[in-house]
Amino acid sequence: MIRLSGLLLAAILLGLAFGEVHLPPSAILRWDGAAELLIGVIRAPRVAVAVLAGAALGLAGALLQSLLRNPLASPDVLGFTSGAGLGAMLVVALGGGALSITLGAASGGVLAALAVTALSWKSGIVPLRMILVGIGASFTLQAITQFMMTRLTGAEAVEAARWLSGSLAARHWGHAMQIGLCLAVLLPLAALSLRALRLLELGDEVATGLGLHVTRARAGIAALAVALVASAVAVAGPVPFVALLAGPLAVRFGAPMLLGAAVVGAIVTVLADLAARGLIDGVQLPLGVMTGILGAPYLLWMLSREMERGRL
Amino acid sequence: MRVVLVIALLVAGVILSLSLGARAVPPAEIWAAITAFDPSDPNHLVIRDLRLPRLCAALIAGVGLALAGVLMQAVTRNPLAEPGILGVNAGAGFAVVLGVYAFGLSGAAPWLAFPGAALAAAAVFLLGGGARAGSGGGATPARLALAGIALNALLISLISALVLMRAEALDVYRFWIVGSLAEAQMRPLLPMAATVAAGVVLAFASAPGLDALALGDEAARSLGTRTGLVRASVLLAVTLLCGGAVVVAGPIAFLGLAVPHLARMIASRSVVATLAVALPLGPAILLAVDVFGRVVMPPAELRVGTTAAALGGVIFILIARRMRPGEVT
Repeated sequence: MIRLSGLLLAAILLGLAFGEVHLPPSAILRWDGAAELLIGVIRAPRVAVAVLAGAALGLAGALLQSLLRNPLASPDVLGFTSGAGLGAMLVVALGGGALSITLGAASGGVLAALAVTALSWKSGIVPLRMILVGIGASFTLQAITQFMMTRLTGAEAVEAARWLSGSLAARHWGHAMQIGLCLAVLLPLAALSLRALRLLELGDEVATGLGLHVTRARAGIAALAVALVASAVAVAGPVPFVALLAGPLAVRFGAPMLLGAAVVGAIVTVLADLAARGLIDGVQLPLGVMTGILGAPYLLWMLSREMERGRL
Repeated sequence: MRVVLVIALLVAGVILSLSLGARAVPPAEIWAAITAFDPSDPNHLVIRDLRLPRLCAALIAGVGLALAGVLMQAVTRNPLAEPGILGVNAGAGFAVVLGVYAFGLSGAAPWLAFPGAALAAAAVFLLGGGARAGSGGGATPARLALAGIALNALLISLISALVLMRAEALDVYRFWIVGSLAEAQMRPLLPMAATVAAGVVLAFASAPGLDALALGDEAARSLGTRTGLVRASVLLAVTLLCGGAVVVAGPIAFLGLAVPHLARMIASRSVVATLAVALPLGPAILLAVDVFGRVVMPPAELRVGTTAAALGGVIFILIARRMRPGEVT
């Protein structure tokens, strides 16, 4: 956990210090007008949004992975992220403000989660069937989102396209406040869910015997994960793969699953955003493109490991 | 009887595709435009320069994707195998975009679709556990689907990165990449028709071998089937079929997933019969989707790739739901 905190701090400093415009260290130390504009006004809110959105995604992924006891069961694979993306997209298309975009993302995510759960229900939930149903649902939801895109014109279309590819360009402190407030509500709930998750790990019967209402606890944890995804999607767009890889990576670092996943999610998002804007001169890639390029090989690696262990 | 219905559906699709659109052309005039072309008649020009190429593209893509789906489902013994969801189409698309944006090719770029499709097909099969056939159960639906979404996500991210890196907006390629028949007159239709036709011949030639493979590798070998040769010829056929389809219509999902299932309901379960039904059924359904997209909310046009992807996800869920838990893993 100490190592992870150190990494997060380093990632934040890197994110503040580097970018498309190069700022010599002496200018940063002197804190002149250019440094104040570049770091204080442009980069700091962007890094703050990356930290908070990444933490929300990582935590959401870890909650679902623990709940379904499957490292592949993350909100992006299960189609929840696409649902939140479609919901927020509809509001963006209608010209809605920050609050309504968050609500749109939340409604879309909840509807997608309900639909995927209902469609994969067959006298119980088999995680792998739920994953397959989620993949199908993502496909349909993304196609509908694409279609909505083509119905927009001019400035709206440009804004929506940028948002849709998961972008942190032009984030300001308002966005950071928005997700900060969401997390202020959701993080204490996540801490509360920790006990329920531990009990669920003991098996349904033991958990019930220890006084846990199993179905209600599961629904509550899933709803919490969806709310976390929605608050991240509302400020950063549907960023893929962060939720998938944060939890398992945190465990590799020997950190506790939930807290570690939040920190790893933040680190990954800050670094991916840094790579997206600074890796190629003169090109600002959307964050979602970078997490796609980094995250897809990870999913393939995890797939082969799960196959080797005979769990897939 | 059912086969006659499929062919009637195809004929209806052809006529509707030619006559409907921003300018409706009555069927009699379509015939006149083909047999007695009059360059001063705007209706004739629309038919010859826009709708006939579009129809040809739909026929090529419909045949290519449907037959590729049949082959992929047969060779992986997996009801969810499909060139769109498994990333084969994205591989073809990525190779073309790479050729255009990174290497500055123009005329030769479409041909890169073939190595792109071949590499993606081989990669998704291997990554999805295809080489673990002996011990771990082979390319099961869940494995292949997950390898497919990873490959799709990677290739689509790379395509976005390439397109964004080159500031000049080549709208043709942006539209092509979501799957569209609207710009068909700009595509190399004739060479792709020949390629897909070669793929069709190869598909039918590998069908008996695939039927034998369905019994398991051991049994197939004892029947004298050269399993490696069958798999290689299927890979080549899928490459020709998907590559040709992607070049004329962009990456279109759904068709390769749905048509084999429908064809198996109509025909017997043998691969030859399924291929024979899929041959008219694929283009018939693609034309129906395209016509639907053109008339559902004029004057705007729903691109065929978008409609198909939306339908594809639903069909994918329906098939996944029908599988027993043991079949998923």
